Amino acid sequence: MKEILKLEHIQKYYGNGGNLTKAIRDISFTVEEGEFLGIMGPSGSGKTTLLNCVSTIDTVSAGHIYLDGEDVTEIRPRALARFRREKLGFVFQDFNLLDTLTVGENIALALAINQTPADRVEPKVRAMAQTLNIQGILDKYPYQVSGGQRQRCACARALIHGPRLLLADEPTGALDSHSAQMLLSAFAGIHAQMGATILMVTHDAFTASYAQRILFLRDGEIFTELRRGSASRGAFFEQILQVLTMLGGGAQDVR
Amino acid sequence: MYAKLILRSARRSVRDYLVYIVTLTLCVTLFYAFLSVSSRYYQPDIGVEYDFTLLSDGMKLAICGVTLILLFLIQFVNRYMLRSRQKEFALEAVLGMEQRTIAWLFFAETLLMGGVAVLLGIGLGAVCSQFITALLLTNYGQSYHPVWTLFPDTMLWTVGFFFLSFLAVGIFNTRTIRRTKILSMLTASRENEAPFQTSRWMQAGAALYLLLALVRVVQGTRMLYFYGDIRLALPVQLMFWANILAPAGLLAWAAAWAMHRRKWGFPVLVLGLMVGAVLCGLSSVSVPVMQRKYLLVFGAGGTNQALGFLLVDLIFLLCGGIWLSSTLLVWKKDHSPACRYRGTNLFFFGQMISKLRTTSKTMALVSVTLVLAIFLFGAAPVLVGWAEGYLEARSMYDIQIFSRYNDVYDEADLPRGGYDQVTQFLAEEKIGIQADCAFSLYLPRREEFRSRGKYDFPVAAIALSDYNAIRAMLGLEPVALAEGEFTTQWRTIASAADRAAFLAQHPAVSTDAGELTLAQRAYYTDPMGESFYNSYTDVLYVFPDEVCRQLLPVMECRYLMTAQPLPYETARALEHLFEEYYPEQTPGGVNYSIRLRTLQVNSARASNFVLQTTLLYGAVVLMVICLTVLSLQQLLDAGQYRARFQVLRRLGVEETEIHHLVVRQLGVWFGLPVGAAVLVGTIVTGCFVGALEAEINAYVGFGALAVQLGVMAAILAVLLGCYFVSTWALFRRAIEE
Repeated sequence: MKEILKLEHIQKYYGNGGNLTKAIRDISFTVEEGEFLGIMGPSGSGKTTLLNCVSTIDTVSAGHIYLDGEDVTEIRPRALARFRREKLGFVFQDFNLLDTLTVGENIALALAINQTPADRVEPKVRAMAQTLNIQGILDKYPYQVSGGQRQRCACARALIHGPRLLLADEPTGALDSHSAQMLLSAFAGIHAQMGATILMVTHDAFTASYAQRILFLRDGEIFTELRRGSASRGAFFEQILQVLTMLGGGAQDVR
Repeated sequence: MYAKLILRSARRSVRDYLVYIVTLTLCVTLFYAFLSVSSRYYQPDIGVEYDFTLLSDGMKLAICGVTLILLFLIQFVNRYMLRSRQKEFALEAVLGMEQRTIAWLFFAETLLMGGVAVLLGIGLGAVCSQFITALLLTNYGQSYHPVWTLFPDTMLWTVGFFFLSFLAVGIFNTRTIRRTKILSMLTASRENEAPFQTSRWMQAGAALYLLLALVRVVQGTRMLYFYGDIRLALPVQLMFWANILAPAGLLAWAAAWAMHRRKWGFPVLVLGLMVGAVLCGLSSVSVPVMQRKYLLVFGAGGTNQALGFLLVDLIFLLCGGIWLSSTLLVWKKDHSPACRYRGTNLFFFGQMISKLRTTSKTMALVSVTLVLAIFLFGAAPVLVGWAEGYLEARSMYDIQIFSRYNDVYDEADLPRGGYDQVTQFLAEEKIGIQADCAFSLYLPRREEFRSRGKYDFPVAAIALSDYNAIRAMLGLEPVALAEGEFTTQWRTIASAADRAAFLAQHPAVSTDAGELTLAQRAYYTDPMGESFYNSYTDVLYVFPDEVCRQLLPVMECRYLMTAQPLPYETARALEHLFEEYYPEQTPGGVNYSIRLRTLQVNSARASNFVLQTTLLYGAVVLMVICLTVLSLQQLLDAGQYRARFQVLRRLGVEETEIHHLVVRQLGVWFGLPVGAAVLVGTIVTGCFVGALEAEINAYVGFGALAVQLGVMAAILAVLLGCYFVSTWALFRRAIEE
């Protein structure tokens, strides 16, 4: 498999002098094309900071991030927007849909921004909506549909222009269990059908169980890594829970 | 603790509501500066011939009246603050604070912000009042020296007026907070359906407009019934019928729409009514045009009514245009995929449509108010120039005495004598006389004494020697007439066309002393005052002295120039004395009048100053209120916008494109109401100038007016530019935070 994302000794510090906070101490890993990678960890472990660095919303203090062989830490600030627009797709916990546009227009916006010819926009939107089973709500406004539908719309918007990497930050965080399950099935579907590469940050074991591989972070470092392999999702879920128990601290940490 | 809370909240609010506070400060500055003129302690050196108290009371009333409009802005901002702070209030309530306390804390916070604006405004007002004093002294023809004083009574007025305004709005808000349930305050921010609820104001507006169309049909029919005549020219016939058929067309369109309303939708009705409004407006405009051209007899009432209808048409067009703009944008978006899917256009359409749908009422109101402001800006130089010019034309002599014979029916009752009491009074007061001319005005033919109809009042005549004496008083060259000749003297306001027509009709005049022919130099237009023309006439015959000796003298006049200006009190005393001897209405019917330059100038200057300052103050206040509302509507929603622009950034839109979008958004936001208002305001001001064409020509001059209007337009443009740039800068900062 081809390597699509590579992180080399990433460090991220906030503050200065005596008041230095190390959000990421030293993280290195790679993601292969078509892989579904989960990142887990307790609050403050550096998950979101890591995602922000990969998505170029934030800059690293040290280290390099390569996407498709291109060092994103070296990209000039003015070219970053173009890089994000063409290579990345985002799904956020709070959907980030525009309330002034319909669901269909929200999805089309990503294509319009990428200068897709006007006559190809609507067929693409319809096809993507079909894949995510939201074809019936394309003319509705975000406030008129459920949370799960909104997140699937956000998903469609993130994927419609064929990004190299889909970044998801707690995508099920604001959903009820039923909607979360539907969304994750959709994620699994697009991963399987479209071969999308997904990097998903979550602290929920059930959500993480849909990934192929999980990196566990603690205090800004990789604590351990778990691969699903040929195990069933149920078994993988159990393994995740075990790691989470270890991650939360053993008896030796209790004084 | 509460004080700390208030201070902290106010400090945060100052940042969010900067534009509002600046506008408020500006309004207080203008309020204080203009009102300082009416202070008891204000004693500018304007000379003994002027009395200042005339001005004070008028100013106070006018300024306070105009400033009441500011209440609207205060209420608008408070309502917005209230809405955006609901969640915070709910949290305070959950923590156990009484809702009454929360309400009073909010009131104290707004009062504190207002207080800061009032204090700043008074400070700036003290500086600004120097400009007003300079303006006033220039108006009275005196030189200006700065005097720095604070006027305690004006300060009290300013503080009191604004405190009462804040209190009125504050009490209303306090009630709202106390009555709102905690739960609904907590969930207020989640009610995202609200933005798409459309108000029904346009439906109400259309209904009212149709009702007015009905009234117009009735009025149009009445006009045709009373004034229509088959012998009138075709354009006049068309004018009569257009004023019935155009409004009838509106009603017919509404009836047709009512039958297909499900299929056509309300926007189609509005569009049709707007087309009809253009036709109705044109038919209304034709009324004064035809009246002037064909001298129709329905007079000022009919013309004013037509102009009133025109104003309603324009306002409807303005409101309809703004209301339809969101529909048009939706139509454009739906029918042009190429435009819709080009770059960030989709985002731009979304922003504009959602905002226009929910705020079209405010936008229309802002636009109509801007039209009023533009009109006031345009009307100020016209009216003030007119009053100034007319003052010059009518106060050419220090003392003018004249009589009228309109109510005299017996020749024996006609006045005789030279007003000797005036000479005596001036001698007693030790006022020297530089020039004095007592003269009679005659009727060419004795039988004309009986002609008293408004349109057949005879033109009076003056003897050549008297005419030359008056000309000498004014420093004009004397006039000579050959035997058997006459010439004419014309009022300033008479148009060249009227004069030419009159002279063509009167190449000769038959008098009781024989017929006179028009001299080669047929007319004189030098301004020589307004009082020696007969009622309802703009012309005076100048006859040879020997002819006049055989005519019937009907009016007795006397013009005097004093060696020094009459002091105000002396002028008043002379006026009283004159009225004692020569009452306005004598038993015989003679009507005597005295005009003293001191008093004329005094009252005209005072009322002119009040007029000028009120118009300009009103225009500036209205303008800044409108621009503030437009600016705040964008800035107060910055939180919402920040989130939306953040989404764009995450989708990979460059900063330059985002800045371009902000300029586009604010450009449409300011451009739509301001552009519509400028268009309609120009039409309204144009109609106004057109209606006063003769007066402007006589007393102001179109060149001078164009310069003044140009200066006004530049001030408006600068004001608009300032608000636009500051809104743009604050908006950019808000979405980047």
